[in-house]
Amino acid sequence: MSDPLLALDDVYKSYGEEQVLSGVSFEMDAGDVDVVIGPSGSGKSTMLRCVNRLTEIDSGDIYLDGDCVTDADTDVNELRKQVGMVFQDFNLFAHLTALGNVTLGLRKVRGMDKATARERGYEHLEQVGLSDQADSYPAELSGGQKQRVGIARALAMDPKLLLFDEPTSALDPELVGEVVEVMRDLAAEGITMLVVSHEMGFARSAASDIIFLDEGRIVEHGPPEQLFENPQAARTGEFLSRLETTHEGE
Amino acid sequence: MPPLPLQSDWAFVVENLDLLIAGTGVTVALTVASILLGFLLGFPAGAIEVYGRGPLKRAVETAGVVLRGTPLLVIIILLFFGLSVSSSAFVTATIALGLRSAAYQSQIFRGALQSVDEGQLEAARAVGMGRFQAIRSVVVPQALRRSVPGFQNEFTIVLKDTSIAIVIGLGELLTVGQNLYQGGQSTAALEIFLTVSLIYFVLTFVTNRSLDRLDDRFSIPGGERA
Repeated sequence: MSDPLLALDDVYKSYGEEQVLSGVSFEMDAGDVDVVIGPSGSGKSTMLRCVNRLTEIDSGDIYLDGDCVTDADTDVNELRKQVGMVFQDFNLFAHLTALGNVTLGLRKVRGMDKATARERGYEHLEQVGLSDQADSYPAELSGGQKQRVGIARALAMDPKLLLFDEPTSALDPELVGEVVEVMRDLAAEGITMLVVSHEMGFARSAASDIIFLDEGRIVEHGPPEQLFENPQAARTGEFLSRLETTHEGE
Repeated sequence: MPPLPLQSDWAFVVENLDLLIAGTGVTVALTVASILLGFLLGFPAGAIEVYGRGPLKRAVETAGVVLRGTPLLVIIILLFFGLSVSSSAFVTATIALGLRSAAYQSQIFRGALQSVDEGQLEAARAVGMGRFQAIRSVVVPQALRRSVPGFQNEFTIVLKDTSIAIVIGLGELLTVGQNLYQGGQSTAALEIFLTVSLIYFVLTFVTNRSLDRLDDRFSIPGGERA
């Protein structure tokens, strides 16, 4: 058997007195789509940010494709070239067009020449259905379009793994669908995704596994059918039923 | 009031307009040189205040506090008569105005850099850019746009404050006016200094309008104005 694409091994993280992650371990294989759910403050986003080291862990190990990426001598920029991230607040570069957002990393990090980067950039905007908005600036785009550009920007770097940090939480409800649709397409294409989201529709239809995180611990980890139909832990059931009521209609 | 001397006083100003224009040239050159020096020192100083640490950051902050806390008149007299940094009045005035401007420009840029959302830097780092690269490619372009209004203000202040170079005898606009008044027709004081005021006003007005253009030109479509 080959190495898992991503493995977290007994990861701990605290902010001062506050313990955020308390011994988190899981693995995912290439092509998997894992969706992380859990109450706010359960450590979901922190866990995601530890994977590309926007947040540094206190102890434990994280492996990407067999390499330990939490070693002190790991080049974080090399790591981040292989791990794309999509943010809750989009964080599109405000001074650049949609195409500029997608190509900046290609040019500055991958060292691509302008013409090649533009070509690649267009392809990825096409992939998220926004090639006609290539010359628009972020402030001229709707929230859903911004997030699709954010996804294209991450995709363009050709990462081994894509991280999604609550990609639809900042969106008006009517704009959620277009982003989820793009994410579904990516999942179908076999892109490995670790997604923090409470979009249950996406979780049910696209997830390989659901990870339920509470108080910095993985309470339950399994395929969607198991968690939704037959949760093993009482807390999982409680949380999911609360989620169903608050997110009704989505 | 007898009409004739008044007429001749204006005539005196018109006759010496070439001198006033030459003085205006010195004023403009001194403004540009000082703003440029202020930018070259002030921009990195602002960046160090935001991103630097340790002794360098403390040194820059202290220099800024001292310069902002000392009257420009005192700085220029100290540099010229006290320290004799240069025998050239123009060079000395440029250093004095440039240092003082750097201390204020650093604060304009510091504020502008700090106003750029932290998520911008984070997103750039997440793509794999190094810290310096991310600041340069993502934060600085946005901060420069946001600093235009503050910079506009600073430009006007420096332009007007070039008149302080009169105390070290530099032949800028006010000095030329003063020499005309003292060396020639002392009755023409009102006319001379009204003309000098008008020239300063035209200069600041034109500068501000031009920088407004710059502001429009570099504003981000659909977004905030620069």
